[in-house]
Amino acid sequence: MSKRASLVAFTVAVLIQIMILVAVPARKVFTKATGKTVVLKVQPVDPYNILSGYYVTLRFDVSRVDAFPNARGMVQGDSDGTWVYAIVENGDDGTWKPISLEHELPANLPDNRAALLGRMTYGTIIYGIEEFYIPEAQRDRIADDLSRNVDKARVEIKVDRGGHTALERLTIDDRIYE
Amino acid sequence: MTPDQNMSNKFRAALRNELAIWIHKGIVTEETAKQLSSAYELDNLRHESTRLLSAVIFTIGGLLLGGGLISFVAANWEVIPTPMKLALLLSALLGLHSVGFWLRHSTNWTRLGHALIFCGCLVFGANIGLVAQIFHISSNWYGGFVAWALGSLVMAWAIRSWIIGVLALGTSFIWFLGFQSDREQLAAAYPLVLAVSLLPLAWVIRSRVLYAGTLLVIIVAACVLAGYQGSGRQLLFTMAAGGMFMWTLGELHRTSKWRMEFASITSALGLALLAVGAYVWSFHVLWDVSVFGPMRSLWAILFFTIAIALSLFMLGRRIQNQPLLTAGVLLAGAILCASSLLSGSTANISNGEFLFTVATNLAALILAAIIIGVGLIDERRLAFWLGSLYLVLLILSRFLEYETSLLVKSAAFLACGVAVIIAGISYETYLRRKAPAAKPAMEGVEYE
Repeated sequence: MSKRASLVAFTVAVLIQIMILVAVPARKVFTKATGKTVVLKVQPVDPYNILSGYYVTLRFDVSRVDAFPNARGMVQGDSDGTWVYAIVENGDDGTWKPISLEHELPANLPDNRAALLGRMTYGTIIYGIEEFYIPEAQRDRIADDLSRNVDKARVEIKVDRGGHTALERLTIDDRIYE
Repeated sequence: MTPDQNMSNKFRAALRNELAIWIHKGIVTEETAKQLSSAYELDNLRHESTRLLSAVIFTIGGLLLGGGLISFVAANWEVIPTPMKLALLLSALLGLHSVGFWLRHSTNWTRLGHALIFCGCLVFGANIGLVAQIFHISSNWYGGFVAWALGSLVMAWAIRSWIIGVLALGTSFIWFLGFQSDREQLAAAYPLVLAVSLLPLAWVIRSRVLYAGTLLVIIVAACVLAGYQGSGRQLLFTMAAGGMFMWTLGELHRTSKWRMEFASITSALGLALLAVGAYVWSFHVLWDVSVFGPMRSLWAILFFTIAIALSLFMLGRRIQNQPLLTAGVLLAGAILCASSLLSGSTANISNGEFLFTVATNLAALILAAIIIGVGLIDERRLAFWLGSLYLVLLILSRFLEYETSLLVKSAAFLACGVAVIIAGISYETYLRRKAPAAKPAMEGVEYE
């Protein structure tokens, strides 16, 4: 291969690597830029599993399939891996509550409702916002704060029109972690 | 057929030393020595070893540098603001790639340049981790590896790099291990993707490691898929057929002279796959507990078909170098495949478990004999000793597996120990007898 051809091939390879790096967070960036803000209440997590590596593992009110009134009708046979839309509604306390599960994205949702796209796995719904990365130096402090004050813990997320979610911040009482 | 010229570094180094002695003793003339030196490229020896050493050192340096940067990202160092961290790692990526390319193409430091581009690909993986941190991306644990593999694959092709190809192979395999548990049907195409994307690269750049490594991962991935389908017999069939496929492919390389450098490593890995499969299934408990599901391993059938086709091709063209060895390997592989296939109808075969256990033990014994045979015929010490150890392991496993008195076990251990020592002494004596007359000459030099 000539030097010029090598340079072209190499430049294309570097550009593809950069495109991959841009593509990895593209969906989250889009959701953050265009999405609706939804606040979810954080559920207690098995204390031995809170800290997994360099992120805090989170679960929410809307993570449990049986938190939705129509869950029984949705879970039939082998539903693991099924994609669903979790419909949530803004509650009086500012957090969003589970309303129903749907297989299709509902059209014309009112402003006080949102559809979160998630995947059913062993009785829970995974939305892709369950891992909150934290600096190494704050690992123990955040994990400790979360396990002591889990009832005051909230996450602020963005939800776009397609139901895709992006984690914005974690708040525990008046403490904000981003 | 003209015998192949021995171009191994070990032989050439010995020849270079001997030539000086032969000239001194008048055994060869200066002119003949020059011809030998030219034929065996003895002048390149020092340069080759230096190049290899520098390549190894630079690659280790690249690995450490990349590892350091990855750990730095994992630590999520809070003192540096996020945009700065992103800029830092992107700059590191572009900097390493640019400097690496410049060194590789515009200076004599080609190996350092190669190592820096390799390091850049490690940093590319770190950057994927960094953006996952910044945007709190919580996908499946294996998600980032496919992005890493894709970026590495493109770079491996762009700069014709075997080690970046190996990086793409490793990261893609990690992705596959996670992905196949979620999307089994889609994951079944992974071996094909590997074959199409990495084997041609290995062929073009003549990389033995990448070629044999890719073939091995293709077969291991097929084994994982077969194992995930919940059937032990499918796993054995896939492993045995894969082993036969690699062995015959290696022999095809050896006998046809197409990329002959691929021959030894490919055949050896094929033999190793068969030996591992035969040893694992030589335990009767595996035939008792195997789940006999329907045979669905298309990859295994493909490996088996190609192995038979290659054998027939070599037989038809009469280019078989060691027909007895190949026949032995195919026989052992066929026994393993037949056992795994017939075990599906074990209800119709009386004493099925016993028969299949005996058959796999027989296959393992044949393989042990073949490995020892390779050691004897090719005078390869490692093969002889590995074959002997495999045989001993097989015998001792049977004595430990079945209820026998301590006295019998003791006798077995003693017999194996004595047999290994006698075999070793006989083999070493045999090698010394066959060794060229260079040894006394060397001894003569030492006393002078």
